[in-house]
Amino acid sequence: MANGFFTDTTLCIGCKACEVACKQWNELPSDGLAFTGMSYDNTLRLSGTTWRHVAFVEDREVGTTIVNRWSMMSDVCKHCTHAGCMEACPTGAIIRNEFGDVYIQPDVCNGCGYCVPSCPFGVVDLIEPFKPSAAKAAEYNTATLDRERLSEGALQSHGGIAGKCTLCYDRQRLGFTPACAKACPTESIQFGNVDDLKARARKRVERLRERGVDAQLYGVDETTSVGDLNAFFLLTQPPEHYNLPARPVLPSTHQPAGYAAAALAAAALAVAGLAIFRGR
Amino acid sequence: MLAHPPSPDDAFTGAAGRRDNEPGPSYFEQPLLKRPHWGWNVITYLFLGGIMGGTGLITMLAGRSSIPADRRLSRTAKFASLALAAINPPLLISHLGRPERFLNMLRIVKFKSPMSLGVWGLVLYSGAAGGNVLYELAEMRVAPRWLRIFAPPVLEPLQALLGAFTAGYTGVLISATAIPLWAKGKRHIPALSVCSGLAGACALNTILAIVSGNDEPVERLERLEAVAALAELTLLADFRRHAGALGKPMFEGKRGRRLRDFTAIGGIAIPLLLNVMGAVLPMPKSLRNARSVAASALTLLGGYVLRETFIEAGKTSAGDPHAAFRQPE
Repeated sequence: MANGFFTDTTLCIGCKACEVACKQWNELPSDGLAFTGMSYDNTLRLSGTTWRHVAFVEDREVGTTIVNRWSMMSDVCKHCTHAGCMEACPTGAIIRNEFGDVYIQPDVCNGCGYCVPSCPFGVVDLIEPFKPSAAKAAEYNTATLDRERLSEGALQSHGGIAGKCTLCYDRQRLGFTPACAKACPTESIQFGNVDDLKARARKRVERLRERGVDAQLYGVDETTSVGDLNAFFLLTQPPEHYNLPARPVLPSTHQPAGYAAAALAAAALAVAGLAIFRGR
Repeated sequence: MLAHPPSPDDAFTGAAGRRDNEPGPSYFEQPLLKRPHWGWNVITYLFLGGIMGGTGLITMLAGRSSIPADRRLSRTAKFASLALAAINPPLLISHLGRPERFLNMLRIVKFKSPMSLGVWGLVLYSGAAGGNVLYELAEMRVAPRWLRIFAPPVLEPLQALLGAFTAGYTGVLISATAIPLWAKGKRHIPALSVCSGLAGACALNTILAIVSGNDEPVERLERLEAVAALAELTLLADFRRHAGALGKPMFEGKRGRRLRDFTAIGGIAIPLLLNVMGAVLPMPKSLRNARSVAASALTLLGGYVLRETFIEAGKTSAGDPHAAFRQPE
């Protein structure tokens, strides 16, 4: 049975410990510093080297309809039941591992980039090739240089491949909790067997609703082609407010119509061609 | 760092506090989807791969004809297919983040992945084209005669079939993604790829036929090109209607004008007009050939701009969160 995350946004305090823990354990390079002016979110989005991203949904009073509220949500790869990235991958680098999670084998991926537009959640991305010149090497800190000296096995050692959350595959194999869940001080991020997590999440929703909180689960009992998410969320606002699609679509569902249309066009043109080259 | 730095006002009207004219809630107007990384090398491959596929069909059509000039055309088409099959892999390999791992594409056959099937289609197409070229070399007595075991009645239809696949799969590959513009074209884009590929192949083979002094079949190539180009124009117009607001990045603004000028008008309408002129107006052979070459060059340019527009418009489409929230089923 699959392991996954239950991310409860009502418990998130926006401390970004998950982002930091993820970066540290997985040896992911910094994104640089930028002030976005969007509440307290300077990370902006998940990327090939950012596998947890805390979104800050800050509302102010406008007229009479909006209450002044602030909610945070730690976004992550959804580890979908039907994963668009995994289906698209032509090398078989993206697999479902023994813990039921979607994992990119860093030594197999050749950086074709097809998984990137195939993720309906916009999670996976290519990592910039890592090629420090002698002049530039001084700018990198020692940790980066150490990583560069490591073998191919070090995930980001040379870049040029796709990157996303591994659900701490290495930690799971050691029997550890993934770094983000371990570091989360409020248990907003919970790790475990997905079925157990779902049972816990349903109870939590019930309790919140009793208290008058408009809570809903995202990624549980889904009827979309993507199916349930092994990393699912408890939300208090519509999914779009957290940059989540309300109804994600599995891209491979477009293929039958596409192949049929191409075959039809080719057959029609072949018939026309036969008539033109033989009709005399 | 930010592609479009938001104004402070945008920041505070994000989420629920949105303005009335915005189409729905979003996270500070941040893109939901990641932009595809494909650049000029993939665009060129989509263009040349389509032409290569279409040339496979011409190999069979002309090769199975009873007219000697057509058979000569088929021979030229076979050499052209193999040349294109040699150019395409380096283009594809150059776009990889880790080019030295290109062979990882061949470690599995994956029916769910159009890119995996496409790579195998390319490999098989190269084999069929190679067999056909060996037969021709044997016929031309520059290769051993036993190589005529690569019998055209089998290998030409095979190359045509694989050609149709290589021309069409690129369209399936693009539309089987989450990019709203591409997903919306799940029927139109694959059909367009086939039509544009064949039109481009007719154009290329017209030029090759004229250069090689075999201009008799040109008239037939131009008729086939007219059919393919008309189908392409019809599909393009229908896609514009079908895509509606999702088609904006492709059909409006600077990119839309470029598509109209270079593909719809320059790449389809003007070549069609030139071909009709060639068919009805009496003109000396040299002028007739010059007209054919001009029409073909325009068709090829239009085909390239079509692929470029699809890829670049897809990147814009990926950046629109409101489009991405309404992912086409």
